[in-house]
Amino acid sequence: MTELPIGAAHLSYDGRALHGATGPGRCFMIDARCLRGVALPGAYAHVCALPGESAVLEFDQPEVQQVRRDALAWWIPLLGDALVCITTLAIDESRYGGAITVTREPVAWSEDPFARIFPGTVVRTDAFCEVAPPAGPVVERYAGVAWPGGRF
Amino acid sequence: MKLDPGERFPDLDLPDHTGRPRRLSELAGGDPVALLFSRGWWCPKEQRHLREVTRLQDEFEVAYARIVVVSIDAPQVQSAFRAGLGARFTFLSDGDRRWLARLDLLEDTDMLHRPYRPTAFTLHPDLTIHAVYDGYWYWGRPTPEDLRRDMRAISRTVRKDFER
Repeated sequence: MTELPIGAAHLSYDGRALHGATGPGRCFMIDARCLRGVALPGAYAHVCALPGESAVLEFDQPEVQQVRRDALAWWIPLLGDALVCITTLAIDESRYGGAITVTREPVAWSEDPFARIFPGTVVRTDAFCEVAPPAGPVVERYAGVAWPGGRF
Repeated sequence: MKLDPGERFPDLDLPDHTGRPRRLSELAGGDPVALLFSRGWWCPKEQRHLREVTRLQDEFEVAYARIVVVSIDAPQVQSAFRAGLGARFTFLSDGDRRWLARLDLLEDTDMLHRPYRPTAFTLHPDLTIHAVYDGYWYWGRPTPEDLRRDMRAISRTVRKDFER
């Protein structure tokens, strides 16, 4: 398991369900704020990631930058009040393994820009809490934490 | 209310372009901020200036700095305007003119809309004012070069490793 930067948390995904840091499946780093508050029971998590270790890209690759721009430009506004929180999934300080968008209710998952990178699966979850969406326009990572988390 | 360089800008609490309540300090998130008070979507000068600012977001997105626009437009109007601009930063809506009165930024020559007087502030992450631009006349607004210069100056003071 990768050592955690400040502001990051671990989470694992086996292709069907999300688990805690020591759960089965592939381990990712996420924005810790998504787990820090009062959890919202029965939320919907659109997990755009694969359990296989080969599903990985650099955060700095243009397509990974562009999906973050799209999230700021129209995905988050499209979700409106349905949005609970959003986080990318980091393998380490520089590599991207996917993203999770958590909502209160089913939404237009087919529009999720992160699904352009790795396909999405809808998972019911009680783990996530509400986090204010990123203000933009920053798409870079802060101190190695999964976007949009962290700060200097 | 004094809004001069060195003063702390108030921590605005307003809904954003999606209607979600936000605070200015949260939007700053530890980064320098370009805070722009705008008349509204209808004004050709605002349309022109915000297109210029939107072009600059490609630098802000990699430079750990924020852009926030405040106007009296309703959130749904701001959301449409923002989408039309292609902006990826946050708009705050002061439709009730709650902060407009407290900040004393009413444009008193427009009694039809009673909008904000176009004014721009560059802020430190703790909301201390670095510079103020009165944009009532278009040429008073910050150019991209003004904003670059201010972001550089603020970053130099708040990023300990800015220079070796």
